[in-house]
Amino acid sequence: MTARVGVEGLARSFAGVPAVRDLSFTVGAGEIHALCGHNGAGKSTVVKMLSGQIPPDQGRISVDGEPAELRSRRAAQRLGIALVDQELSVVPALTVLDNLLLGDIDAPMLNRRRAAVARCRAVLDEIGLERIDPDRPLSSLSIGERQLVEIARALSQKARLVILDEPTATLSDVESDLVFAAIRRVAARGCAVLYVSHRLAEVLDLCDTVTVLRDGRRIATTPAGELTVGTLIEQMLGEAPHRLAATRPPDPDLGHALRIDHLHVPGRLADFTLTAQAGRIYALAGQLGSGASDVLRALAGLHPQATGSVELHDRALPLRNPVGAARAGVAFVSNDRKSEGLFLDKTVAWNLVATRLPSLGRAGVIRAGRERRAARSLAERSGLAEHRLDDPVLTLSGGNQQKVFVGRCLGRDDVHALLLDEPTRGVDIGGRAAIHRLLRSAADAGLVVLFASTELEELLELGDVIVTLRDGRTVGRYDGDADGATLMRDMTHGVNAT
Amino acid sequence: MMVSRSGRAEAPPDTPPATGARRRPDPLRLAAGVLVLILLAAGASTDRFLTLDNARAILASTAFVGITAIGATLVMIAGSAVSLAVSQTATVVAMIFLATQPLGLGTSLLLALLCGVTVTAVQGAVIGYWAANPIVLTIAAGFATGGVATWISDGTTVSAEVPRYDVLNSTPLGLPLAVYVLLAVTALAQWTLRRTTAGRQMYLVGENRAAAHAAGLPVGRVTVVAWAFFGACIGLTGVFLASFNTGANSALGGTLTLDAIAAVLAGGTAIAGGRGSALRTLGGALLISIISDVLLLRGYSTGIQILVKGLLVLAVVLTVHLRSVRGRR
Amino acid sequence: MIRRWTSRPERLLPTVSLLAVVLAFAGSPVLTGDALTTFDVYNALQGFAQLGLLALALGITMIAGEFDLSVVGTYALGGMLAVQTGQSSPALGVLVAVAAGMLIGAAQGGLIARLRIPSLPVTLATYIALLGLTSAMSGGLSKSYPNSDATLWVDRTVAVVFSPRSLITLAAFLLAALVLGRTRLGRELRAIGGDRRASRVAGVRVDRTVVGLFTVSGALAALGGALLSYSYASANPDPGLQPLILAAVAALLGGVSLAGGRGLPLGLLCGTLSVALLAQIVTTAALPDYTTQLLYAALLLGAIDAPGLRAAIGRLRARVPVRSS
Repeated sequence: MTARVGVEGLARSFAGVPAVRDLSFTVGAGEIHALCGHNGAGKSTVVKMLSGQIPPDQGRISVDGEPAELRSRRAAQRLGIALVDQELSVVPALTVLDNLLLGDIDAPMLNRRRAAVARCRAVLDEIGLERIDPDRPLSSLSIGERQLVEIARALSQKARLVILDEPTATLSDVESDLVFAAIRRVAARGCAVLYVSHRLAEVLDLCDTVTVLRDGRRIATTPAGELTVGTLIEQMLGEAPHRLAATRPPDPDLGHALRIDHLHVPGRLADFTLTAQAGRIYALAGQLGSGASDVLRALAGLHPQATGSVELHDRALPLRNPVGAARAGVAFVSNDRKSEGLFLDKTVAWNLVATRLPSLGRAGVIRAGRERRAARSLAERSGLAEHRLDDPVLTLSGGNQQKVFVGRCLGRDDVHALLLDEPTRGVDIGGRAAIHRLLRSAADAGLVVLFASTELEELLELGDVIVTLRDGRTVGRYDGDADGATLMRDMTHGVNAT
Repeated sequence: MMVSRSGRAEAPPDTPPATGARRRPDPLRLAAGVLVLILLAAGASTDRFLTLDNARAILASTAFVGITAIGATLVMIAGSAVSLAVSQTATVVAMIFLATQPLGLGTSLLLALLCGVTVTAVQGAVIGYWAANPIVLTIAAGFATGGVATWISDGTTVSAEVPRYDVLNSTPLGLPLAVYVLLAVTALAQWTLRRTTAGRQMYLVGENRAAAHAAGLPVGRVTVVAWAFFGACIGLTGVFLASFNTGANSALGGTLTLDAIAAVLAGGTAIAGGRGSALRTLGGALLISIISDVLLLRGYSTGIQILVKGLLVLAVVLTVHLRSVRGRR
Repeated sequence: MIRRWTSRPERLLPTVSLLAVVLAFAGSPVLTGDALTTFDVYNALQGFAQLGLLALALGITMIAGEFDLSVVGTYALGGMLAVQTGQSSPALGVLVAVAAGMLIGAAQGGLIARLRIPSLPVTLATYIALLGLTSAMSGGLSKSYPNSDATLWVDRTVAVVFSPRSLITLAAFLLAALVLGRTRLGRELRAIGGDRRASRVAGVRVDRTVVGLFTVSGALAALGGALLSYSYASANPDPGLQPLILAAVAALLGGVSLAGGRGLPLGLLCGTLSVALLAQIVTTAALPDYTTQLLYAALLLGAIDAPGLRAAIGRLRARVPVRSS
């Protein structure tokens, strides 16, 4: 195989923190090359550099032996690099046809409708969307179908390299199989494919070669035939973390503070049931699209279509209503600190007291003294320096921002359940340990703590009980007896259990 | 992986903002400083600018628009951008106020304000609870309100047979009553924003509605409170307009809608919400009046005055935006 | 089939509103007792011509997720420039107006695209400044246009119900429909309005398109102003906010959403025709003035898009749990 795309000495850092260091690899024509790695290994940074979304700090990228200047998505496309972004990048307001043609540099300036529809039909059929009319607005399609449209768009362009970043996270098995078939056809035509995925079984099934990244470095490039899921996990994790006994064993005398019964979110989560004791930490383990974070969002009232019955301290928790959930004692820490969490322009002090304003005064008037004292004590409790109280939150590091976010939920008599989606996403090692201590102390203070995470170490370190999810279904439940490899297997290619 | 979404790599190291501010001067303060200097120079070199009468004239011309602008500030801070139904609402309020004069000043004042609050708060409810687009909604509401106003007035000018509003046109200590009301409303709005739960929540909802929603803050209620306050302010302006003009027809509201928005923007409140203050709006309204006054005294036409006002608003909007963007980088 | 229509407000809304208004127009003789004349149709089309280019200028920015308030400023300035420079040669006047409109649009588009600033406050400021500039040019007074040949020409009856002015407006709509419906550009414009990030990832040159869009919008608004001034034989320095509001109503009834990404030029055409016909109905039927306003309000109710309302309906439905099989 000749090298279609070559990467040499590629490096990129963000705000001084290296994300990718001295990375070299090649993808040959017709080769399906997987990029694997744990969260934060640098996969997405590589994808962004190769697709022209961010420039590398160092290193060279070449296409068919020619050095490539990838200053924009457009420039990358001109060189024949197509992309399926990790985030869904199709436009719901357009029709399926328009989405398929969007950004295609080969699309003619003047639309030739008949030709376009014919081509579009063929492309859709190929990926298993035979029943989809090209003139339907994309907004009428399910999330999985939209993802298929985006994949179809990338595969239908006359590309030399197709990059697919987590293309199957929101797809069913049948849909995934259709995508794999389509990818194989594209590769057979001589196109190079770079495939990024968490689902290791499908990686081994689909790809020819696997490059594993860890902490921004290349650990190994191995023919897929020589790998098993086990050896691949070993490469990704280094030494697989082992499970110690649950920090807090179940207390037989204590009842269940939180009862989740048949929680259901259409298209995302099926029949989730869990009973939880106050004082213990429950971990939901699952990749993107597994339903783990949907459990939390539904409990926080953020899924307008959630059904089921949930009781918190023997009182029914209103679903589908965030104000009601908060009033019933649920505090929620979203996985998207920036757009759905903190008030970034506001000060640390404001953010810390944002959800407890009514308790800081009387008749709707805030008492300055009481507010200050509350902010100070919360800052101390969450490990934030007091002199930062009046700085805008956006000047803090990720770790400290997350402390503010968690600290906001602490020390409130009216909070009974603390829900956290990816509690340490974008947090450095030190901050991570501090946040884990915060969660443990919150549990010790009598809260039910429930968190969702994709990170093995975190799940194993923190979860007294670990529930694994995949494709919206519960796969396994471990009360102090799981190890990293088992969890990884459950999360990546588990068989559907119970 | 997931570098961009995880933010791990993006997260900035802790940077105290003070060093950044020292390196480069804050564009907003710089611009404000330059502007004040220019105004001082222009004012000092203009005949009759630095006189008590002129100061009175400036304050008086600020009052009507200013009161409405203070209310618009709360709505903009709470993230509902703008209302395009202000003129019509003020007109209806003015008509009700004049038509109910025989019931006595207190009653008619109450009814008029109640009308302003209700009409505006209902719009706030649709925006707050159902996330309707404020522009579309207020255009529709503007037509409905304006239509009803023309309907009940039959297209004529409403006036009171027994006017009891004279006290509203009084000028205690040489200043129109409306100026005192403007100051009182500003103080009340500033206090509400700074010291009450509702005010604080307006900033939070305005800065990040999704975050407020996810945190279980009462987004709908907060929005309604902001719009109700706005309605009261529009009502006050309507009442003063009615008394000042001793009559109200469908053209009474005039350019109030845009003048109020211009004052809020000139004060540096961001249209995206979450930032700003009532005091700033008062400053913005005064600034517009002062500049118009200087230009007027120097013999420039109304056209030039409006042109400069537009450029001023543009400059402030750009400065505020650049400043907030720099804060994020 | 019906389901497909109801799920596409950019087609449903303009069709329904135009149908309703046309029916009302055809039925108005019942109210007045006088038969409809071709003159009524001509008048309605004149109203369409007055509003049309402005609605198109505003509408295309709305499709791309922007809101260009300054079109009314450009409209006023275009009218004034045409009157002042086109006294001997009307074509020159139009040319100057359009060139100025393009310049203003390009400058604003550049600011908005490069700084990624919301368009509403910027264009509001420009709107105020342009009205000021127009007023300063004419000393705050209406400026009359002595070239009566041009005035007669633009409103001359063509093919019974048209005039050159309404034909030019119609042509602009058709051209826009052709460009937006039949070229890559239209797709990219709607994509930008629908989801800017996704468009960038897909390879659309967002900034360039936004600048171009505002340039075209400025040109259209200025052209509309110039034609109006020729027709009235005078330029009004302060058209007020009303033309903008009507243009927005036309766009909204045309199925364009303020959230962006939705709308078709032919829908815009229907929306504008609805607004113009409605005004004409009220005139011919001699209904009181306020009826127009109340009718606009009623029609707009259909254009209010409240995601929260949809979620509330979804919640109500969810309360009756449907067991998945």
